[in-house]
Amino acid sequence: MKFNQIGMGQFFRASSVLIILGLLVEIVSLLWFHPLSFVLFAFLGAILIGLGMVVYLASLVFAAIPISGNRE
Amino acid sequence: MTGILVALIVLTIVLVAAFLVRPTITARIEGKILAFAALCVLPALCIAMGMSFHMQRSEQTKFCISCHSMEAYGKSLYIDDAKHIPAQHFQNHRVPPDTACYSCHTDYTIFGPFKDKLAGVKRIYLQYVSTPPNPITIPGGFKNAQCLHCHLGARAFQENPVHASIMDTLTSNQMSCLTSGCHDTAHDVTNISHEKVWKPGT
Ligand code: HEC
Ligand code: HEC
Repeated sequence: MKFNQIGMGQFFRASSVLIILGLLVEIVSLLWFHPLSFVLFAFLGAILIGLGMVVYLASLVFAAIPISGNRE
Repeated sequence: MTGILVALIVLTIVLVAAFLVRPTITARIEGKILAFAALCVLPALCIAMGMSFHMQRSEQTKFCISCHSMEAYGKSLYIDDAKHIPAQHFQNHRVPPDTACYSCHTDYTIFGPFKDKLAGVKRIYLQYVSTPPNPITIPGGFKNAQCLHCHLGARAFQENPVHASIMDTLTSNQMSCLTSGCHDTAHDVTNISHEKVWKPGT
């Protein structure tokens, strides 16, 4: 159980870091008036944020697994 | 708009950072709910609003001409000659000046705005990775539907005897509005250096 909690924490941290990075990129893309600002937003910012969300959601799924795992 | 969005992003960053520093907040049920908001709902909102922001920005005249290869087209809006269709529309606000290029160059269909953005990404590739074609042309040519979106049904257009006599060939795109002898002068960027320029406010 303890081991699993550490795993969860790592997921959580990874997700937070990805989202923060993505959001910082998004701010830059909003303030930077340039043809490439959209590319920066769509292909870096949004993908980092989206990945962070997926990692977070995955951590919720994994959090449910130990119940069955503990039986062994 | 930018202000609100930036504020939302900063708020989200602060919340997410709080979880990063103190993951134990999530031990309690309120913490779990807050985590869901900070790591899922708010980021999704930031993406959606950012997307809409960038979509709107990309429709602006100043965005179009921020690309080097479009500079001359931007200048062509200031040509002081009523025969130049884009210049004449822009200067008389017959197209919204802030979104002039978009008004004439989007195809007014449901997925038109989306197709334009995809085409835009391809052009960014041409501009920054490969090289823009020379001369630049519109794939498939300029379609009458674009002019007709505004002009069809309008009295001045319908009652014009020339239009009236060939209306079918115009609406079916058989004969272009830009046919020589009709409205044949658009941006004319090759001659732009010796055109008279209109200066707003003079
Ligand atoms: C009144 C409508 C109108 C506006 C406003 C307008 N255009 Fe055009 N544009 C045209 C038409 C019509 C053509 C097709 C010209 C041709 O085929 O000879 C064209 C052609 C072009 C082409 C293809 C090259 C060519 O000459 O065929 C580019 C690139 C272009 N426009 C960019 C722009 C940009 C950038 C803006 C804004 C700064 C803009 N246009 C605003 C009507 C417009
Ligand atoms: C976004 C709307 C819009 C689009 C697109 C548009 N026009 Fe117009 N145009 C107008 C308006 C508004 C007027 C002024 C009212 C009128 O004369 O009907 C006008 C006027 C004109 C005039 C009359 C100019 C004058 O001095 O009397 C011509 C010619 C014309 N447009 C040609 C075109 C052509 C060719 C295209 C396609 C390349 C086009 N327009 C696309 C809105 C538009």
